[in-house]
Amino acid sequence: MKTLKKTWPFHVMLLPAMIFLIIFSYIPMGGIVMAFQDYKPWLGISGSEWVGLDNFRYLFEREDSVQVIWNTLFIAVLKLVFNLIVPFVFAILLNEIRKTALQRGIQTLVYLPHFLSWVILGGILIDLLATGGLVNRVLGVFGLGPYFFLGDNDWFRFTVIVSDIWKEFGYSTIIFLAALAGIDPSQYEAAEIDGATRLKQTLHITVPSLIPILMVVGTLALGNVLNAGFDQIFNLYNPLVYEKGDIIDTFVYRTAILNGEMGFGTAIGLFKSVISMVLILISYRLAYKWAGYRIF
Amino acid sequence: MKAISRKRWLPLLAAGAMLATTLAGCSGGGKTDESAASATPSAENVYKEKYDPPVTISTAWGVDPTLTFKNGETIENSVATKWAKDQFGIDIKSLWSVTDTNGAFGTKLRLAMSSGQEMPDILTIGTADNQIAQDLIDSGMYEEVGPLFDKYASDTWKAAIDQDPNVWNAYMRDGKKMGIPVLDYAYNHDYLLWIRQDWLDKLNLKAPTTIDEMEKVMDAFKNQNPDGLSPDQVVPLSIGFKTSMNTWMGDPSWIFGAYGTLPQQWNVDADGKLAYGSIQPGMKEGLQKLSDWLKKGYIPQEAALWDENKTAEPAVAGTAGIIPGPYWMSGWPLKDTVQNSPDAVWAPIEIPAGPDGKAMRHGTQFTNGVTLIKKGMEHPEAFFTYQNYLFDNYANPEPGSQYDNGLFAGYDYQLDADGKQLPIEEIDGGYVNVVRYLLVRDGARIPDAQMKALQSLAEGNEPKTKLEKDVAVNYGKETPAAAQVLLKQDAISYKNMFSGPTTETMKSKMDYLNKMENQTFNEIIYGKKTADAFDEFVSTWKAGGGDQITTEVNAWYDQVKK
Repeated sequence: MKTLKKTWPFHVMLLPAMIFLIIFSYIPMGGIVMAFQDYKPWLGISGSEWVGLDNFRYLFEREDSVQVIWNTLFIAVLKLVFNLIVPFVFAILLNEIRKTALQRGIQTLVYLPHFLSWVILGGILIDLLATGGLVNRVLGVFGLGPYFFLGDNDWFRFTVIVSDIWKEFGYSTIIFLAALAGIDPSQYEAAEIDGATRLKQTLHITVPSLIPILMVVGTLALGNVLNAGFDQIFNLYNPLVYEKGDIIDTFVYRTAILNGEMGFGTAIGLFKSVISMVLILISYRLAYKWAGYRIF
Repeated sequence: MKAISRKRWLPLLAAGAMLATTLAGCSGGGKTDESAASATPSAENVYKEKYDPPVTISTAWGVDPTLTFKNGETIENSVATKWAKDQFGIDIKSLWSVTDTNGAFGTKLRLAMSSGQEMPDILTIGTADNQIAQDLIDSGMYEEVGPLFDKYASDTWKAAIDQDPNVWNAYMRDGKKMGIPVLDYAYNHDYLLWIRQDWLDKLNLKAPTTIDEMEKVMDAFKNQNPDGLSPDQVVPLSIGFKTSMNTWMGDPSWIFGAYGTLPQQWNVDADGKLAYGSIQPGMKEGLQKLSDWLKKGYIPQEAALWDENKTAEPAVAGTAGIIPGPYWMSGWPLKDTVQNSPDAVWAPIEIPAGPDGKAMRHGTQFTNGVTLIKKGMEHPEAFFTYQNYLFDNYANPEPGSQYDNGLFAGYDYQLDADGKQLPIEEIDGGYVNVVRYLLVRDGARIPDAQMKALQSLAEGNEPKTKLEKDVAVNYGKETPAAAQVLLKQDAISYKNMFSGPTTETMKSKMDYLNKMENQTFNEIIYGKKTADAFDEFVSTWKAGGGDQITTEVNAWYDQVKK
């Protein structure tokens, strides 16, 4: 009671934010019921016909639903794994560079692509990866190719994953670099006195210190396991690679958005959220159990 | 409570103020209901040239983001609303307006519809928001317009709409006309072939008229390129099919047209029924041809990845020989080719014919939206007064008449002391595309008016009327010639005959069928499957819901045909 007396102005100041959250995040959640309706805008939520699980059934009854869900998982999981490993390793390597200016320069350079939109990058990649494009000409010098990177089912996923990592790894690197800066230097000094080599220092001090932050980043990323990256795929895919490249989001775009099927769109959104939440909860438990780390 | 000093209230006040702003932000859109206040409907609702006392038409605006305003005007209160008041005694009341970026107008309409707000009396919706227009028609909030149109529309307007009575089809329900189509200039997205005339001349070749001749020309463009380009640099025919085989620029559908079908649209078959173009036997030959052309390098190796704008790139770069596209392409983008290839001359030619002399191209609907009239609107005739006037006086004004120079002096035109028109850059305070202030997008357009104007120019006449002057100034120099080519092949232009709302089976099956179709066609073109995969596709298409869709589409067609 005593603390409340002292802190109540802060609670009041928190109030607008809470109201904001309730109005814009919690109340709209009521719209989830649309997932179980044949929603018609002019009838509204109260007047639209209830269709039970029909919207969900449609997702699973399509001839290509297994293919689409599998593509989504495959692309998303690989992106998730490599978007953890690559920045992690890169941050450690970058940290070994002694010249600050060089380190900073590289850091900025690798995270610049993060700010380009896929609409622009899509156009650039189509040119770069064309059969007569730069990449294939370089490969040609080594007697390889030409590969039809964006039009061949064997290559499409590879291209999508690699280009996504190229675009995003610099950004995640920053998080790991920040964590690296937080490691107590006295640990390294002690290790050096004990005769540990640089490699040993890295393996026994740097890596273990980074595990908790790796867990956090990994857990948060798990929420995206059904998001294989709509903007990227949408800009790069084409009829030749539907088999390996069509994902849930592109398919929702074509059916729900273009045709105004809001009930179906909501159903997919709900489906994705539920799966993501389950995964986040699991990884939260695991992170706590193995790394002793609580995120929230 | 007494213990709280005055100072302590400050944070509360601050918080309160923040809250107030937050809530104010929410309520901005919801205007209060004040419609019922106007006068009681009179017994005789007669059409008048000018209403005294004034009548009110309410509307809502999706404002084109590029539209500018001057003299402190807004869309709600502009030179056009004043004009409506003075000229016709019509008060245009704006319920709301929104800058139409990222489909904001559609979103706002959807919200207004589902939250039960007052809907505007007159609502014009563009083709981009067609789904919402269809939803609004189904909602029962809007009136059947057929009888109103028959009763009040002027002869000019009726004649304009009769140029293609099928424009009504998209807005028909049970044989009733539920929305007035917004007319647009005809043939905007019909296409012809643009060919590098300078290459033809240097090679001593004639413009191809058949698919076979075309192959010879493409081969010459590629292997004996007059600009000295190496074969792998040249794109003899720039087409792309990333999104569709039936589009507007870099369109491949005429290749199938040469074999008697147009893909991805509904055509009328021999029995007068609608049939889906992509499953007709002609497709197979077309696909084989394309596959062959890909192998020979006549079409881009990345054609499956190219969308419309991408196909224009080699054309502008001066490495493409032929590109299919609309008649206005010599203005954009082909005008820029000379910067990269100084001798380049693009000439419009006719769509070549297939082995049995057949040629087809896809046609353009004459509409770019719909105008809806609300049920219970007090004076629907007032809308016709407004629109009739525009069709009679503005759509194609006679030389010397009031609107010969433009709509409003000082906005879209200005005259100097001698009564001559100033270049639009010199208008005081800047040019304003003032037709966008009108109730119906672009005011009033008569479908064939622009083509007629272009044809008159192509015949060597001096531009006299407003439209002729407009096209002479604003379009590329080959445009009149292209229009003539386009009109010459008028008979081979086939529109998509299905323009109704998505049918029940389409909702659940069409996306998958389309996906399968695109995939199969591309795989055949790229040689990953033999042409026999086409027959397999046809039977899967039919069994997988296609037959049912065909039945539904024909049920719709029978109902609008009457």
